[in-house]
Amino acid sequence: MRDGIEVARRGIAAVALVTEQFWLQGDSVATSAGMPDIPRLRLPHPVAGSGHDAMERVAQGIAARIVAVLSGSAAPDNELTSAV
Amino acid sequence: MFNAVNEAEALELLHQSGCTDGLPVVIPTRDRVDRLVLASGLDSDVDLGAMGPGGGAATVEKLAINAVMAGCLPDQMAVVLAAVRAILQPAFDLGEMQSTTHSTAPLMIVNGPVVGHCDIAGGFGALGPGHRANASIGRAVRLCMMNIGGARPGVSDMALLGHPGKFSFCLAEDEMSSPWEPLATAYGYSSDESVVTILGAEAPHSVVFTNDADDKDSPQRLLRALAVAIANTGSNNANLSGGATAIALNPEHAQVLADAGMSRSDVQAELQRMAVNTRGQIRSFNTGFIAAGDDNDLIPAVRRPTDIVLFVAGGAGLYSAVFPSWAAGTHRNSVVHEIVATDATCELPWK
Repeated sequence: MRDGIEVARRGIAAVALVTEQFWLQGDSVATSAGMPDIPRLRLPHPVAGSGHDAMERVAQGIAARIVAVLSGSAAPDNELTSAV
Repeated sequence: MFNAVNEAEALELLHQSGCTDGLPVVIPTRDRVDRLVLASGLDSDVDLGAMGPGGGAATVEKLAINAVMAGCLPDQMAVVLAAVRAILQPAFDLGEMQSTTHSTAPLMIVNGPVVGHCDIAGGFGALGPGHRANASIGRAVRLCMMNIGGARPGVSDMALLGHPGKFSFCLAEDEMSSPWEPLATAYGYSSDESVVTILGAEAPHSVVFTNDADDKDSPQRLLRALAVAIANTGSNNANLSGGATAIALNPEHAQVLADAGMSRSDVQAELQRMAVNTRGQIRSFNTGFIAAGDDNDLIPAVRRPTDIVLFVAGGAGLYSAVFPSWAAGTHRNSVVHEIVATDATCELPWK
């Protein structure tokens, strides 16, 4: 999250990837770091340790959305969440 | 009975008389106490038994006084009652446990519908601050142990150091995140019963484990990491060879073992088998407890698989925890259980 914020502060499009278990912490860190609207996408938990094939499936499933959010053609999950 | 002109003075009187745990308490006024007695569904003079080491009578009214001081809500009284009934069971060796120099404290694990009803946390930071029910219920039991049982540090509670769980040590099993049946059902209760399971335990010892789903040895690595923590040669379990121990598996670690086809009882059996030291290893640290014999003998830290209280709690991630125990006393400070009798509570007129 903090990496994403640092990148965004440099004027570079950024999206933070946050696993389900740490979604609330992501909100908290984004707010405390002064960028509550930093775009973020939700990943399943766990990713680490889930094995090569599982990680590849996660990557395949999220890559297009990362690009779409970075290019501004899709809303990040935190905007969708806040709209609910 | 204390008389004070206001609650600030009453608090000072309670502190001065040694009736608190050192933190501010809710003043147990007559109305507040009556409210929790009513919530118990029992008469105020019902005596649950003598509480050691001081032998004070654990009446419902005294429980209510301590529960008020701890900040309990009426609905939480049923859990406090069950927990006190549990630690009063002879198998728990409460009087001896309260008097020992070891740092043991009653770790309370709650299962069943009362968890949701009372909002007892079992996930992230369940043993830490910020969870009202966990803090209040555990604190109420501790205040009972002090004010009814007569445990006073350095006088009758001889714990050399103690640990922060002696303020409060209560959590729920995270049944929703567990791949197994609820803990209480492993001890013969049905899943629709609310049950508190208690053992005397040290503070949690963290066990870090990084899963690698591509490594077939991963589940065994996790078991080895847990077994070493159970058999750590600084523990009473290792040195006295027996007693209970608890393991709080975080949901991710529990899933690793479940995915390997292991049931809760499989894990308990494997850990009981693996948590061993040689007699020589133990003797190289302590000679005061271990019996004479061949230094190559394998000495189990836990004698029976069911003495490993294996439950799922905490946030998902890298860390699980092992809670060694005192492992002494007439009954080796056995694990005890008690049903939380939620159907016995009165209808509360203020609700």
